[in-house]
Amino acid sequence: MLPENLTAVVARNESWTGTSATEPYEAGWAKEAIVFVRALKQPKGPLPKARIEISADGMHWCHEGSEFELPSAKDAVTFQRLSHFGNFLRVAATLPDGAEITVLVTFHLKA
Amino acid sequence: MNASDSRLDDLRRAIRESDPQLSRFDPLPRIICLDDFDRGMCGWTQLVGNYEDTLDAMLPGYAQHSHAMLSTLPNWDFGSHGGVDGSYALKIATRPRKGAQNVAIKRLTFRKAGPIRLEAYFTFKPEATELALSETDIRSFGFLYDLQIGDTSGPGDRVMPHLRFLNAQDGQHIQKWQFKRRTTPIKPIGTAGKTITHYHLAPDDWEDLPGGEQRLCYNEIPTKVNWHYLRFDFDLAAMQATRFQVNDRVFAMDGYDCIRIPAMKNLWCMLNLAFFAETDTDKRAFAYLDSVCLSGDF
Repeated sequence: MLPENLTAVVARNESWTGTSATEPYEAGWAKEAIVFVRALKQPKGPLPKARIEISADGMHWCHEGSEFELPSAKDAVTFQRLSHFGNFLRVAATLPDGAEITVLVTFHLKA
Repeated sequence: MNASDSRLDDLRRAIRESDPQLSRFDPLPRIICLDDFDRGMCGWTQLVGNYEDTLDAMLPGYAQHSHAMLSTLPNWDFGSHGGVDGSYALKIATRPRKGAQNVAIKRLTFRKAGPIRLEAYFTFKPEATELALSETDIRSFGFLYDLQIGDTSGPGDRVMPHLRFLNAQDGQHIQKWQFKRRTTPIKPIGTAGKTITHYHLAPDDWEDLPGGEQRLCYNEIPTKVNWHYLRFDFDLAAMQATRFQVNDRVFAMDGYDCIRIPAMKNLWCMLNLAFFAETDTDKRAFAYLDSVCLSGDF
């Protein structure tokens, strides 16, 4: 059987302001992931970098160390490659006052 | 049943009972799918709402849905729980907001309008954010079919049998099975005149299944789970439920009915099945499926 390979849409048309994150996603079966973020609308204000967070339990989160740009224009896409992330995975960002981005976040996971 | 059919039935039963994976199900003669989530997602995906031109057109009930996941049921206090006979189960998780729902769906069509049987091993639990039993934090766990007659077999309807276990509401531990006959008003989407939407999982219009009270094993702390067996028999010819069983209880279905709405122009022979979870607190609700077997008599 071919190894599992999943595209999971973890945030769809969600507007991020302030401290925002995708819902906890379990991907312990996957050895690697690429996270894509697409801006569905024109972002507003200065955008911070997004960060990858991992967790033992889906409730207490650690900064995994990876950071990547958020897309700066409507339909622009950014991504981050990941490996060795344990089980729970999410993308988080802390946007300054006045900044907003509407995102489509997808995880592309491979066993 | 004639002698030849009887021998075939005996042979089929002997083969199935010698296979541990099949032996815990009681399928009709033809297995349409046997989804064990140790083999991956098995065609279960998220229920995305309808839209045209913009995702903003999606009803909020659907916009909240997210992707199911392959889970080992990991817990902060004792680690991975695992499934009935393997490491993984399908996990349906809501957002941490009272009333939030999430759905996992599998989309098929049928080739004979006859009896079908849905069997599953399931469990549910809230996110263990408190050191408390939390038995009233999950509002409901449930499942549904979304069905429509074949294009030449009408007149007929789009039929949506729903059942949910109303575990709790506003902190009250209720524990009973309910069904639904009504959905929200049908609303056009966009301007092309091709797409409509309605939210059949709206919190209104649930009705009690007569005799549907059931106390399920929940266990004694917020992280331990026990797996439950579920079986739902439905006749696609009559578009009626015929039998419903959970663990040792078989429920009378005389008082049961489905959501029935006019057939739609692009859903012929549709056979969709879905499971859902709903939270009653600002805490994530988790529904888990170890395995699902759908079978038919054809």
